[in-house]
Amino acid sequence: MRSIELKNITKSFGGELILHNFSVTIPSGIFFALLGPSGCGKTTILRIIAGLEKQDSGSIFLGKKNITQVPSNERTVNTVFQNYALFPHMNVFDNIAYPLRVKKVDTNTIEQKVLDTLKMVHLEQHIYKPIQFLSGGQQQRVALARAIISEPDVLLLDEPLAALDLGLREKMLIELKELQCKLGTTFVYVTHDQSEALTVAHQMAIMNNNGQIEQIGEPKEIYEFPRSRFVAKFVGTTNILSGKKIGSTIEIEKEGAFSLSISEERKEDGKELSISLRPEKIYITKDKLEGFSNVFVGTVISVVYQGRSTQYVVKLGKSGITVNVFEQNEEHFPKEVIEVGNLVNLYWQKENVVILKNEKI
Amino acid sequence: MKKSDLKSAIKKERFFFAMVPAVVWQGLFLFLPLLFLVVISFIKGWSYTGVHGGFTLENYTSLLDFSHLRVLFRSFFLALINTTVCLLVAFPVSYFISVKSRRWKNCLLFFLVVPFFTNFLVLVYSWFFILERNGVINKFLSLFGLGVSGPLLYNMPAVLLVMVYCYLPFMAMPIYSSLEKIDKSLLEASSDLGANFRQTFFKVVLPMAFSGIRTGVFLVFVPSFGEFVIPTLIGKGEPFLVGSLVSYYFTQSLSPSFGAAFTSISCVFLVIVAFLWFVLLKLIFTKNLRGSDNGKN
Repeated sequence: MRSIELKNITKSFGGELILHNFSVTIPSGIFFALLGPSGCGKTTILRIIAGLEKQDSGSIFLGKKNITQVPSNERTVNTVFQNYALFPHMNVFDNIAYPLRVKKVDTNTIEQKVLDTLKMVHLEQHIYKPIQFLSGGQQQRVALARAIISEPDVLLLDEPLAALDLGLREKMLIELKELQCKLGTTFVYVTHDQSEALTVAHQMAIMNNNGQIEQIGEPKEIYEFPRSRFVAKFVGTTNILSGKKIGSTIEIEKEGAFSLSISEERKEDGKELSISLRPEKIYITKDKLEGFSNVFVGTVISVVYQGRSTQYVVKLGKSGITVNVFEQNEEHFPKEVIEVGNLVNLYWQKENVVILKNEKI
Repeated sequence: MKKSDLKSAIKKERFFFAMVPAVVWQGLFLFLPLLFLVVISFIKGWSYTGVHGGFTLENYTSLLDFSHLRVLFRSFFLALINTTVCLLVAFPVSYFISVKSRRWKNCLLFFLVVPFFTNFLVLVYSWFFILERNGVINKFLSLFGLGVSGPLLYNMPAVLLVMVYCYLPFMAMPIYSSLEKIDKSLLEASSDLGANFRQTFFKVVLPMAFSGIRTGVFLVFVPSFGEFVIPTLIGKGEPFLVGSLVSYYFTQSLSPSFGAAFTSISCVFLVIVAFLWFVLLKLIFTKNLRGSDNGKN
């Protein structure tokens, strides 16, 4: 259980710069998720920590020890590969025992530890099965067991659940989180699936397409208070509206402009600002309600039933601006049925509006 | 269960029909002549003009002497050395091409299989230009005053050299294809889990290249045991090997019964060698290299 620190890592492949002066500190003993779109360099970061890829410049620290020049087989860091990378010529036992065998641990200790680890991942009944006879989920568990048996300081997981179906993925996520709690090992979990990251992580970092970290923090903090347009859009669904700040309102510069109440008071009048408003924070109804700081009238242009919620797309006034709204399907037979073409009122509290970092669009 | 039984039965049936042409071909042109060969090996003084004498074991008993066994063992050791050298040369080359080379992979692979595209006799004769008295090697050696007055041909090392050259692709190709199939992430996983290069090689690469090595060894050992062209041309019949002896009995001494008997003996010898090799491989690869001393399958 140690922390990991990357300092000014630069890496390019075939002339294409993937990471430029990338720095991050991952505290010890936490479940850390690295979330980003495909091709943003997050897997490269994992491979650099594991020592499977050599960075062009920069340094890596494991705890206080500089491991920049340490080869991968001497780093106390293990990886669960995306394709599992299990040895096909070995059975479950041999695969899991592999890290101990190469360290020349004695046979009895190996046997005991393999059994203990197998119990941890609930595979004890498959101990001598060939790898080919296991299902995807079971192979995943073998890969996990093989990576934790030698008690590494840091466990790296490279989209480990990508190949599993939804139900199994959710189950494995919970198990991974429990395992992390039990072992106390630092987990670094790479994924492009924001719901996975939100489920398991103590802390998460959002990477953009340029290989830079946009925001780092607890899942709740990231979701509720995204700092940039990229984070707001990548984590969950959101409505982004931009306009000119006048006092404590934002005037949207389009035909049929609207004003929004915002809670933050800043002296940047006349400045161009973007805000994020989560669709589930908006209340949609045909009735008139009291007690909301923002009220807008709009026309419903699409209704999509999604099981636990319904998604509405509402056009505000006569402007071209559309807003996504999620409504929880609380009843079998709702009192109020909203259909396409209906005139509706949208309500939200000004506290739920998040002002995004200024950036060029 | 029943359903899957039925399925596999249907599959077997189809498989059987697919085998018919091959079985007929092999039966008519391989097994039938072989059977014929075995039969005449038991006939006394058989000649091309007709049957002479009755059934006898004499052909065999007269062959089981020191001089014949010496030819058998000489061929065996030449084939063994040839196979070993081919393996030792082909494995690193194949490993390099499949694992390390990226841009040059196809180019290197092409050079590896060039001998396949060339006529075998041309391949062998081309060595005359290299090994003869005024050949490249001798000229190079004479630069340092080490030149030889005669050609470098007509001896055992020359025969071995040309045999290694000709058989190398047959060893390299199967090994290359088995190495190529190894998922490179397995090598990374091995290193990630703490194995050094040597451990990764012996615990992952070698066991997974097992089928390629097995095929390569068979492809090289079996034909080089009966090799006829190279010892005849490059060695001018020296060393005297199984192939030369069989040819002598059938074409020169005109005693095909002896030839048939000798061929049968060398066939049986080869089968025994192949069987022993198989057992040896099984022992080496299932116990030592996998290191599964405490795994119970």
